[in-house]
Amino acid sequence: MKTTRSERIFYAVNYIVLTLGAVICVLPFLHVASQSLSSYRANTSGLVGIVPVEFNVDAYKQLFQGTRILPALLNSVKITVVGTVLSMLCSVMAAYPLSRQHFWGRKFFMKAIVFTMLFNGGMIPTYLNMRSLGLVNSYGALWMLNLINPYNMIIIRSFFEEMPQELIDAAKIDGCTEMQTLWHIILPLSLPVLVTVGMFYLIWYWDLFQGVLIYITDTKKYNLVVLVNQLINQNDIVDKLNRRSGSAMAVQISPEMIRSAGIMIMVIPIICIYPFLQKYFVKGVMIGSVKG
Amino acid sequence: MLSDSAVNRRRNLKLYAADQRLKFRRSIPLLLMFLPAIAYFIVFKYVPMLGLQIAFRNYFLMDGIWKSPWVGLDNFRFLLSSGQTLATIRNTFVLGILGVLVSFPIPILIALLFNEVRNRTYKNLVQSFYYMPHFLSWVVVGGIFTGIFALDSGVINAITYKLFGFKYAYLYNEGSWIAVFLSARIWKEGGFSAIIYLAALTNVPPELYEAAAIDGAGKLKRIIHITLPSIIPTIITMLIINMGKVMEIGFDQVYTMQNDVVYNVSEVISTYVYKIGLGRGQFSLSTAMGLFESVVSLTLVLITNSIAKRFDKGLW
Repeated sequence: MKTTRSERIFYAVNYIVLTLGAVICVLPFLHVASQSLSSYRANTSGLVGIVPVEFNVDAYKQLFQGTRILPALLNSVKITVVGTVLSMLCSVMAAYPLSRQHFWGRKFFMKAIVFTMLFNGGMIPTYLNMRSLGLVNSYGALWMLNLINPYNMIIIRSFFEEMPQELIDAAKIDGCTEMQTLWHIILPLSLPVLVTVGMFYLIWYWDLFQGVLIYITDTKKYNLVVLVNQLINQNDIVDKLNRRSGSAMAVQISPEMIRSAGIMIMVIPIICIYPFLQKYFVKGVMIGSVKG
Repeated sequence: MLSDSAVNRRRNLKLYAADQRLKFRRSIPLLLMFLPAIAYFIVFKYVPMLGLQIAFRNYFLMDGIWKSPWVGLDNFRFLLSSGQTLATIRNTFVLGILGVLVSFPIPILIALLFNEVRNRTYKNLVQSFYYMPHFLSWVVVGGIFTGIFALDSGVINAITYKLFGFKYAYLYNEGSWIAVFLSARIWKEGGFSAIIYLAALTNVPPELYEAAAIDGAGKLKRIIHITLPSIIPTIITMLIINMGKVMEIGFDQVYTMQNDVVYNVSEVISTYVYKIGLGRGQFSLSTAMGLFESVVSLTLVLITNSIAKRFDKGLW
């Protein structure tokens, strides 16, 4: 097919608009990254655009030496790793029975789970419930908030439903229990969906903010997100750091440097796993959207 | 005849019961596997629903959920009579509805544009930029946006000041704060939400385009008459889902972007519940507020779904 003149104009405009959009998506990152790597003078005089001015890593040094960012980072890792493993185990064990046609009560259980997506107790009753279970100020509360996310569970279930019934029958004839069938036959064939949903949980736990604000009262147990939020909002942290460095390092840092460095420490791990993540999530979202 | 059918019915019932018993017995291993899920949803999702009753009680720590005195609708009466709570409810609706109106068409537009890109490498690369912001925490996105639009240290003001000698307090004026709030939401979710429409677009048979091209339809005409109608079901589905979310403008976004100066437009139900519930221990009042929010959003979903059903596009 020949492209007409108007079509060529259309394609040109299309590429320009889309590229512009991509630039808008990227620019804020470049700006924040260069702020975190620029000097105090450049930051306070508003010289920083999308390249570092008077390059230095003082903000990062100050963050790691003068704040609790390292313990908070380790807390985040702990919350994320344990949470993701628990959630994946329970979601798979919920999804497999629900994917089986002859499972007793299948429709009822499914409805009861979907109902919780539409209606729930809300913040305060959930908090009171956690408190009566003694989970306040423990990561247990965070792991129980979203142990089985219905949306993620449905994605896994839809994938399991596509498995040929003969496969399961054959495993049964060979004497596999349900658990063995799931573990040895179904799961190895479901890697794409497991990685997708695993990533969704991973990001959810890594980005968890409200839950930590509500349930964690001991500041030593704060995760990275809550700490970075403090860095962004409390200027006295910067004053404290500057007083500290006044004696030892003789460099000054500005609030912009600290907040942007904090943001970068949140973002860098996500950028690192992003290429890996991207391979899978498009497919995962599609499965969820068609069946959910 | 009559007794015959009665006997038949009874036999069918018996068969059905026997069938169910067999089904249950065979399902026992699966039920055992499903047990953690049952326990989880009962203990952490359904039991808190019982706690909603404190919206109708005056909650005292000593008495707990079950023994605090009943007060009927007093908490709700207070919510609907106090200026502050009414403003909070209004803000929730305004930000929610604006959010849906402004951020709903963008992903559709992005999907339509991407659908016309023929260079695969370009498409994949650029798409990955569009999806990236979705995976960031609101603390990060809120921090980036409040930083960029800040009065003295923000880059936007630095640029306009250098060029035109002009500065504006974007975060401290109600109208512009709402604009910044909405653009942050579009920046974070606009690209990612396009995935679902892109998925729907892959199902459009290419013969349709060829036929239209032979009939002399231009590019824009083809988009309007072929591409757009083919994703209408997806658009309606997404509209239903979004209507349900009108009331739940995420806590994280508001909490990380709001400030005291624009308190009048930025306080929403979820942040209010957090502050007066957990901050000041007013459990009954905040639960009533939360319940109000849940009921309204459930109603919105049900209404949208029943409208969609009339056009045969209901979710259930």
